[in-house]
Amino acid sequence: MNRIMILLVVLSLGVSSQQITDSQRLFTIAVSRVQHLHILAQRYFGNFESSLGPDEKRQLNKIFLQDFCNSDYIISPIDKHETQRSSVLELLLVSYRLVESWEVPSRSLAALSRDQISGKLTELKTGLQLLIRTNQEAAFVEGGVALGRFEDYDQRPDQNLRRNYELLACFRKDMHKVETYLTVAMCRLSPEANCTL
Amino acid sequence: MFLHIPTKEVKPYELSLNTSHGTSLLKLACLCLYRKKQRGAKMKEMGLLLLFFSVACGKVTGLGPPGKPTLTNCRSPEKETFTCWWKPGPDGGLPTTYALYYLKDNSETVYECPDYHTAGRNSCFFNKNETSVWVNYNITVVATNKMGRTFSDPVDVDVAYIVQPHTPENVTVNVMEDEGWPFLRVSWESPHKADIRSGWITLVYELRSKMEGEEEWEEHFPGQQKTFNIFSVRSGSSYLVQVRCRPDHGFWSEWSPTTKTKVPKFFLGRSLWILILVFSILVVLILAWIIYMNCHSLKHSILPPVPGPKIKGFDHQRLKNGSYKDGLGALMIPEYPPSSSSNDDDLLVEYLEVFVTGEQDISMEEGKEIQDHYCKSESSTCDSDSGHGSCDSHTLLIDKCKETSKDELNSNCEDASEIIELEISQNNQDEKTLSYDGRPDTCNGRVKTWPSVFTPLPQYTLSAIPQKSSLEIVKQHCLSDTLFPPGSMSSNLVNQNESFGPSYWEFSLNSKQLPQIHSQSSKHLQAYSDINISKKDNEITTLFKSTQYVEVKNVNNKDMVLLQPVESGSQSHAEGCPHVHQGKDYSKVKGVNSDKMLLLESGVNVMGQETATCFCDKSETNAMKESGYMSSANVWKHKHPPMQTVLPVQEEQKPFAANGYVDTATMFSTYNSFFI
Repeated sequence: MNRIMILLVVLSLGVSSQQITDSQRLFTIAVSRVQHLHILAQRYFGNFESSLGPDEKRQLNKIFLQDFCNSDYIISPIDKHETQRSSVLELLLVSYRLVESWEVPSRSLAALSRDQISGKLTELKTGLQLLIRTNQEAAFVEGGVALGRFEDYDQRPDQNLRRNYELLACFRKDMHKVETYLTVAMCRLSPEANCTL
Repeated sequence: MFLHIPTKEVKPYELSLNTSHGTSLLKLACLCLYRKKQRGAKMKEMGLLLLFFSVACGKVTGLGPPGKPTLTNCRSPEKETFTCWWKPGPDGGLPTTYALYYLKDNSETVYECPDYHTAGRNSCFFNKNETSVWVNYNITVVATNKMGRTFSDPVDVDVAYIVQPHTPENVTVNVMEDEGWPFLRVSWESPHKADIRSGWITLVYELRSKMEGEEEWEEHFPGQQKTFNIFSVRSGSSYLVQVRCRPDHGFWSEWSPTTKTKVPKFFLGRSLWILILVFSILVVLILAWIIYMNCHSLKHSILPPVPGPKIKGFDHQRLKNGSYKDGLGALMIPEYPPSSSSNDDDLLVEYLEVFVTGEQDISMEEGKEIQDHYCKSESSTCDSDSGHGSCDSHTLLIDKCKETSKDELNSNCEDASEIIELEISQNNQDEKTLSYDGRPDTCNGRVKTWPSVFTPLPQYTLSAIPQKSSLEIVKQHCLSDTLFPPGSMSSNLVNQNESFGPSYWEFSLNSKQLPQIHSQSSKHLQAYSDINISKKDNEITTLFKSTQYVEVKNVNNKDMVLLQPVESGSQSHAEGCPHVHQGKDYSKVKGVNSDKMLLLESGVNVMGQETATCFCDKSETNAMKESGYMSSANVWKHKHPPMQTVLPVQEEQKPFAANGYVDTATMFSTYNSFFI
């Protein structure tokens, strides 16, 4: 009996180690993909800001930009402490939600749709799904898919500028979040991989 | 009085009036103006009014609300805290306080800066608890003094994008070696506050280096690594290294303090030194081997052997000293045959070889230099050419006027030849056997005799004859030796019981060497000169012109060989061609009788003119040839001193030829007289 128990433990360890190995690899891939997306978002935003005229800049600065991101409803850790308190699964879930929330709006933005950002987001989402599955055997996603409340966007021309600005700023921010969460999760799972260099 | 009129916005202006009550009035007026400005009232009219009033009032002191501060920047070193700095505007002359207020997105609550001191003056430090990432901060700085307060322009700050880490720490540079070549290994640590371990922040680094004294930095991007190798480093120079870092989305940190490292000189790798050493050793070895292999030739080229006149057994010093006048001393040849210890110089000396064709045959060869046409003429006594084959095998004397090279001579020496033993008296137990012991230095059985240069001395005195000059003299001479048949000779010799004395060869050639004739043997190399020789007592009476060949006329009852000149030979000699001797001659040895006497027979001597001619021509043309030559080995003894004529030359000389060839026209007389 004891021997069977030992054997089962060993097997489970092996399986888990295999899973860990797989998750490490998946994490690495996911982190690299989100880093790429973040770089793109940074570039878009920078290009947009540089293309603004002085009047437009003044116009934008006057508006106190707050709570304009559609992803603000997604609760996510906002500091290091909260992030480290969250589990890997939670981080994965948040990341998944964030990515998913941008899957549709990225098609509408001209700047984003040019580089198939939506497709990349979809791929990232798939990878995150895999990661979630590997980290949790339980059924995925409590609460289902969060629909983005992004349908209402102003069609007014002067709002276009503002909307673009907001969108790009939000996109950049969310990508940064996802990158941070995934990096923390990865480093927590495998400290030796690119975390202690 | 100074009056500052603001033109745009409300700015502190100073008016100073010396009136006391005017000051308070001015203050009130200023405050009213300030308030009005805030309400958008027109400034200019109020300002003028105030000015007028102030001027009327006298002194006015300018004090006002503080100027507008400006937020310069906000920075977060690790994305956990951040700090904002502002620049205060001009204060209104009053102590001004500053306050920072901020709004976080999603809320209307105004918060004030929790910490004004940690980060220094005019700064606000947000600690971890108050810092939220991905949250928009709206920050405003307010300057307040007694006169009022001034608000700065609000600034929106997102901590995630204002990260500027500290400089990397513990930058160390080590000089390392890679296969003999030095390189720098730079290592550093992340700023201690940046939390890389948990992955909260990811830093990339940049490194720059330059050689001390250079102006341009060389930049490198190690990425996220914390070590980096700098190659292409020069030995003996110092290098400066700096490192900075940046989060993946943020600002570059400041450069770290310069780290200076010096690469030691002569940092050549061991492998390179070993390679150089091995190569140089190889070169030295090869050179030494080459020199060793060619040392002989080198020695010859550097120090060529001096061909010294060497006469074995001949004491040069004595010659120089002129102590040879007695004649005999010089002729003393203590050593014969020449020792085998001849050096290389001897090789240059030509040998007069004596061939022995039979037991009693003596063959002689002449050296190349010796050859002379005289010899050829002499050989006219033979019935054939002067060569070896011309004469009978019994001929004792063979005059080989052929240009035998040295090698040929030497090679001829190789031939097995009988021991040349001119045993004139075979049964003669006399020691004085004219025999060559056949110990020439190189030839086995041949007597090597040197062509001797015979310097004719009118006085027949021995004198020191310079070796070199003998060359010329030799040309004119032809030495001929006569070999008396052992039998006849012995009889003569025995009877005469005299020895001709040591023969003396005067070397005409520089490289000639006296054959070491055994002193015991009464070998005499007879030479006769064609120079007129004055007759002296018991000396040669014959006068010879040019080269004369003698032939044995007969042997008188006194057992003396009578020689007679061969006239035709002399004539031909002048022409350089041997004449064809015709007529009887007794140069052919018939045989040796029981009394050991050479029997000569007369015969027509048909000379091989061709060869003789050739040889003689050659001998003439050869400058180096000596006129003299060793034609034969002396076979008889001569008891008398060499200068004394033992046998009269002309009369009653019994011609005899040991080998059928007698070429001594003045054999006895001449050689007696020419013995030096």
